[in-house]
Amino acid sequence: MKARLQLPDDVTSVQDLMTLMIEVREFTKWFSHNAILKRVGSKKKSDRPALSPGATELLHAWEKDEPLSVRRLDELTDLLNLYKNTAPTLTITLAAPPTNDIKQTLTNWCRANIAPNIMIAFGFNATILGGLVIHHKSRIFDWSFRRQLLAEREKFPEVLRRV
Amino acid sequence: MTGITFLQLFLLINVFIIGALSTTAIRHAWAHFRPQKKVEKPAAQTLHLPQELKEQMLDKAQRDFEKVLTHAASELQDDLTKTATELNGQLEKLGAQVVTSETQRYQTMLESLRTQVQTVITTAQTDIQDHQTDLKTKLNEKVAAEQQRLVGQIDTKLADAVTSFLAESLQHNVDLGAQTPYMIAMLEEHKAELIKGITDES
Repeated sequence: MKARLQLPDDVTSVQDLMTLMIEVREFTKWFSHNAILKRVGSKKKSDRPALSPGATELLHAWEKDEPLSVRRLDELTDLLNLYKNTAPTLTITLAAPPTNDIKQTLTNWCRANIAPNIMIAFGFNATILGGLVIHHKSRIFDWSFRRQLLAEREKFPEVLRRV
Repeated sequence: MTGITFLQLFLLINVFIIGALSTTAIRHAWAHFRPQKKVEKPAAQTLHLPQELKEQMLDKAQRDFEKVLTHAASELQDDLTKTATELNGQLEKLGAQVVTSETQRYQTMLESLRTQVQTVITTAQTDIQDHQTDLKTKLNEKVAAEQQRLVGQIDTKLADAVTSFLAESLQHNVDLGAQTPYMIAMLEEHKAELIKGITDES
């Protein structure tokens, strides 16, 4: 029923998606208001709301199939809302606050390999030392350095004896 | 038992002979010292012996009686001496037999007791050796187990110390940029597991 939507790369988490939805709603409001002004022939124009690069990219992608209209923007809002409610969400914990590049890299991998609409929330915890811990609902995939150290600690005495 | 019965029979015969001789001696002595007065028949005495003859007859009778009495006493003395001698001999024999048999019995009993004691001592020594061996084995096992436990404790504490040290020292020097290839590699390695987990939860 609705076209597939490729989310912008910098929209990784549900928070980013909600921010994007707010921007789209603001843009829809402006677009609707501007359309009414055009329809009544008013020369008064309201300023276009500032959009983030991600929102701009999304709107450009959305108008490729069909020119923007209030209906299309409502469809986009509904689709984003649907994504927010149904998209799988992962939480990736790293050993330090991730940069945008790292976020982008991990998000792209997840969208390419797991699900194209997957949402990723990032967190950090220095005690994991390195690697990553992935939470999905009740499941935890712990591939952290700390986990590996703890798993291999029985080998330390042997290694020390060899030394 | 047969010896004792024979001895008793012999002693009884001796006692019987002594009794008979004693009775004869006593009767003679009684008759000598207390002669019974014969009832004189008043009219029977027709013969009157001269006084001298009477005295001679009385002396002769007295001498004869004394002679018989002395002879009987001598025989009695001899018999008593023989009897005492035989009795002493028999008693010695009996005593020797009793001592011998009792000695043999005691020796047999002592030998039996010695054998029993030896057996008991041997058994006790064997038991003690077994117990000692058992105790040594158990002690060795306990010592080995305790040693193993202590080594395990040391290993655990050492591993905890190393882990804590690494955790404390590494967490301040995290370079996520350098870890990115590792993280992507981990994701690739566990991709199937990750997808399955997400699918199951969804």
